Amino acid sequence: MAAHFFTLSIITLSLFVVASSGGLESELVADLLTLQAESKSGVIHLDDRTVSKFLTSPRTPRPYSFLIFFDAANFHDKPELRLRELRREFEIVASSFITNHNSSNTKLFFGDIEFRESQSSFQLFGVNSLPHVRLVGPTAKSLKDDSDVMDQGDFSRLAESMAEFVESRTKLTVGPIRRPPALSKMQLGLITALLLLCLPLVAKRIFAGETLLHDPKIWLSGAVFLYFISVSGAMHNIIRKMPMFLVDRNDPNKLVFFYQGSGMQLGAEGFAVGFLYTVVGLLLAFVTHVLVYVKDATAKRLAMLFTLLVSFWAVKKVILLDNWKTGYGIHGFWPSSWN
Amino acid sequence: MAAPETSTAAVPTLYTNNTLRNAFGGVLSFFILLLIGVMAFSIRLFSVIKYESVIHEFDPYFNYRVTQFLAKNGIYEFWNWFDDRTWYPLGRVIGGTVYPGLTLTAGTIWWLLNSLNIPLSVETVCVFTAPIFSAFASWATYLLTKEVKGTGAGLTAAALLAMVPSYISRSVAGSYDNEAVAIFALIFTFYLYIKTLNTGSLFYATLNSIAYFYMVCSWGGYTFIINLIPMHVLLCIVTGRFSSRLYIAYAPLVVLGTLLAALVPVVGFNAVMTSEHFASFLVFIIIHVVAFVYYIKGILSPKMFKVAVTLVVSVGLAVCCAVIAVLIALVASSPTKGWSGRSLSLLDPTYASKYIPIIASVSEHQPPTWPSYFMDINVLAFLVPAGIIVRLKACFLPLSDASSFVVLYIATSVYFSGVMVRLMLVLAPAACITSGIALSQAFDVFTGSIKFQLTGASSNTEVDAAETSSSTAESQTDAVKTQKPEETAKNRPSRKSKKKEREHGEKPSTKAKAEKKRLLALPLESSVISLLLLVLLGAFYVVHCVWAAAEAYSAPSIVLTSRSHDGLHVFDDFREAYAWLSHNTDVDDKVSLVGYPSDDINKFLWMVRIGGGVFPHIKEPDYLRDGQYRIDSQATPTMLNCLMYKLSYYRFVETDGKGFDRVRQTEIGKKYFKLTHFEEAFTTHHWMVRIYKLKPPKNRIRGKTKKSKSKTSSTTSSPKRSGSKKKNPWQ
Repeated sequence: MAAHFFTLSIITLSLFVVASSGGLESELVADLLTLQAESKSGVIHLDDRTVSKFLTSPRTPRPYSFLIFFDAANFHDKPELRLRELRREFEIVASSFITNHNSSNTKLFFGDIEFRESQSSFQLFGVNSLPHVRLVGPTAKSLKDDSDVMDQGDFSRLAESMAEFVESRTKLTVGPIRRPPALSKMQLGLITALLLLCLPLVAKRIFAGETLLHDPKIWLSGAVFLYFISVSGAMHNIIRKMPMFLVDRNDPNKLVFFYQGSGMQLGAEGFAVGFLYTVVGLLLAFVTHVLVYVKDATAKRLAMLFTLLVSFWAVKKVILLDNWKTGYGIHGFWPSSWN
Repeated sequence: MAAPETSTAAVPTLYTNNTLRNAFGGVLSFFILLLIGVMAFSIRLFSVIKYESVIHEFDPYFNYRVTQFLAKNGIYEFWNWFDDRTWYPLGRVIGGTVYPGLTLTAGTIWWLLNSLNIPLSVETVCVFTAPIFSAFASWATYLLTKEVKGTGAGLTAAALLAMVPSYISRSVAGSYDNEAVAIFALIFTFYLYIKTLNTGSLFYATLNSIAYFYMVCSWGGYTFIINLIPMHVLLCIVTGRFSSRLYIAYAPLVVLGTLLAALVPVVGFNAVMTSEHFASFLVFIIIHVVAFVYYIKGILSPKMFKVAVTLVVSVGLAVCCAVIAVLIALVASSPTKGWSGRSLSLLDPTYASKYIPIIASVSEHQPPTWPSYFMDINVLAFLVPAGIIVRLKACFLPLSDASSFVVLYIATSVYFSGVMVRLMLVLAPAACITSGIALSQAFDVFTGSIKFQLTGASSNTEVDAAETSSSTAESQTDAVKTQKPEETAKNRPSRKSKKKEREHGEKPSTKAKAEKKRLLALPLESSVISLLLLVLLGAFYVVHCVWAAAEAYSAPSIVLTSRSHDGLHVFDDFREAYAWLSHNTDVDDKVSLVGYPSDDINKFLWMVRIGGGVFPHIKEPDYLRDGQYRIDSQATPTMLNCLMYKLSYYRFVETDGKGFDRVRQTEIGKKYFKLTHFEEAFTTHHWMVRIYKLKPPKNRIRGKTKKSKSKTSSTTSSPKRSGSKKKNPWQ
């Protein structure tokens, strides 16, 4: 009987322990859900205290994984780190995940840690460079060694590749990425209304023949401007998000404006050469269309001199720059007896 | 070679009203054109001279194969041909999936030559199709520019186009691809459009539709035409330049052109179903509404017209809205809004790089940097703005239809070329036309000034005479601008006089109309220097183009050369491997090509990405060390264990004992390994191609595998590990 009672009490006791640990876990999850609901994007802001509460203290396996974005507000103004953009994308992944699962998936939470306020957490994770995103799995004991780091390659396609990373490591589905529309419905409505209001006005002007398009000067200069934009490789700069210039690696005080190697160009470089390309043609047009009407002979002479010098210099500069940048040696094919 | 100079030198001879001189000019320009054609053809022969008469690259070989079939079996067989060898194992319905223009053209040339008892092989015809058509293209450029500006500008533009590097890169002898004939078709279609616009002749309108049909047959780039022309028509309508000529130039093109385009199997119903074509239909409706309004205006009194206009406009608007709504509904029902990914990335340049890695991956689809422009259109890049501004001559007049078309063409194509480097090819003709205009204009002004300074007062009277005659011609043409269709006959003589007037217009003196008695010439010495500099610029262009044709764009890819300190090396490994295959394999053996025509390890990135798109367990990060592909000792285990690495470097260490990859200047990571499923069959001299035999699968009944007897080999084209010391394992 006593033995019976003893076993029974052991069972109850162990049951109680199990229940209480389960209770602790569900409490943590409930806390996380509340925090998640409080945050606008669903990214939970962590600090040293909450890191220990949710990640270091609970026994493994924890009932959830944590994807953590390491942020530093004082580096937000450094464009090469792309922290702001990545953070925005991270929030998009978080909110897409939460909406796709109706806020009921408790297997994965998204968090961020700010460098200034939680330096010890940064040390705990062993993070010493940014951008840095880390996935802490349920079984990770040491935050530094057992968690997965997101590679540069996983940032490359922003939210989509981050979601792929999460899916490959956690076996959870993120689902379609839901980006906020570029224009809200309100704005869209306003724009449509404005367009509708403008329509009669535009139509009237077209019938009256008073649009900007009727002035050849305007759209010729538009064409030249478009030409300038294109030959300067501005599209390349936009698509590749090239900076205007780089800082010299060897000497931080020096700026690099021209990049050697034909596959890439810097913003300032492109615009400079685009300007050289365009200015020669414009000067030639100036000579053939405007200068011929000038009466004063000396003014003509001076203008011609200026035009010739500038054009010659521009063409020479572009040829030299091109040879330097691409490394091609353009040469003629003369008869061998000439050498 | 000195054609640009010669052609512009011919221009002054055309000025005088003297008929004899005119005839002389005509003959001269004919010979210049002939020379331009010869030059366009011969500058593209470097690849044959430096290598041999072979077809280059992968797609041209496919086209060659199709042409061979066409020559052998005739056109009906060709349309119904199902090729089980292409796109193996799926096979390819050739008639329904190729743009047949190129193949049919080359087939026709071959047939024609053979029926004239000139026994050329199909291969020879294919190799030389592109150079022949570039001569045609430069003549088409002459016609187009002549329509826009005048003979002098036409000849200059033709000479420029004959050797523009961007076009050479796609049309050297042996580069037997769609672009070879398509650029000619593009320019010729534009010429006929402008010609119709200038003459209002239905004959040219029909020709235009046929030229458009040829373009649709030849190249997917025909969508550029079917969007550019409606844009121009819309522009003309909006700027109040609607005329019956515009209607004749546009309406038959849309109706006939679309019907004809739908005849091409690869286009078929796409010609009416995809968004790329909707702009033309929309403008088609608009032009009818506008034509109707003009018609009503003609038959009604002004008062009645005002009443009618409200009615017509409201009905027209309602119809337009309905059609637009239908179009939008159609478009919105498809996920990419009816646009192909490539077209979308033209409208929004950042689209492909964000959403479609496979389009962004192709090197032709990269946005170009400024050196690309210098490489591909060279000094034309300097002249184009001047060519655009030239039309400012008509500062106080609205732009003529033809010149607004050229400006529109250059603006759109330069934008597109900025987005995708391969569209530089479409920019090249536009750049040649505008630069031709600019160059000939500049030559006119400078030579005119020199002539004026040298001859002095005697030319003044001549100038006055020219002025009066040209101003009457001008008033005549102005009247023509607003003429009715019945006046087309009258239109023609006035066209001629207009042309004449244009030729006079080249002379700076004609501009004196507005400000009479003004000395328009530029100082003598600066004109001479400018002329010299322009000639220098032209000479530099010629040198650059010849260099580009000879050095940069003539490599046939199937044979490679490399120049090192101990002389020239020729790598003919690909054909060595093909010869081995044709000797050692049966006709029905399955040979699969693993790898790409360049260095496999370089292209590895894309194999992994594309493979990962189909089989998600293939993950790019597994192959990367610190975000880089490496094959040395730092490489990831996945990389060192993957099939591509093993097939590329199998027994590679035996070459020099270290396994040093000369392309990457590094020692390979894993040197000794065995292959489980493959057996080395053949390796070419320079180790560029390696052929492996697939071993019969284990644990299967042997007799069965023997019976099927499919000797499956696998070819990998591996990196250029050059080295004369390396031993061929089979020697």
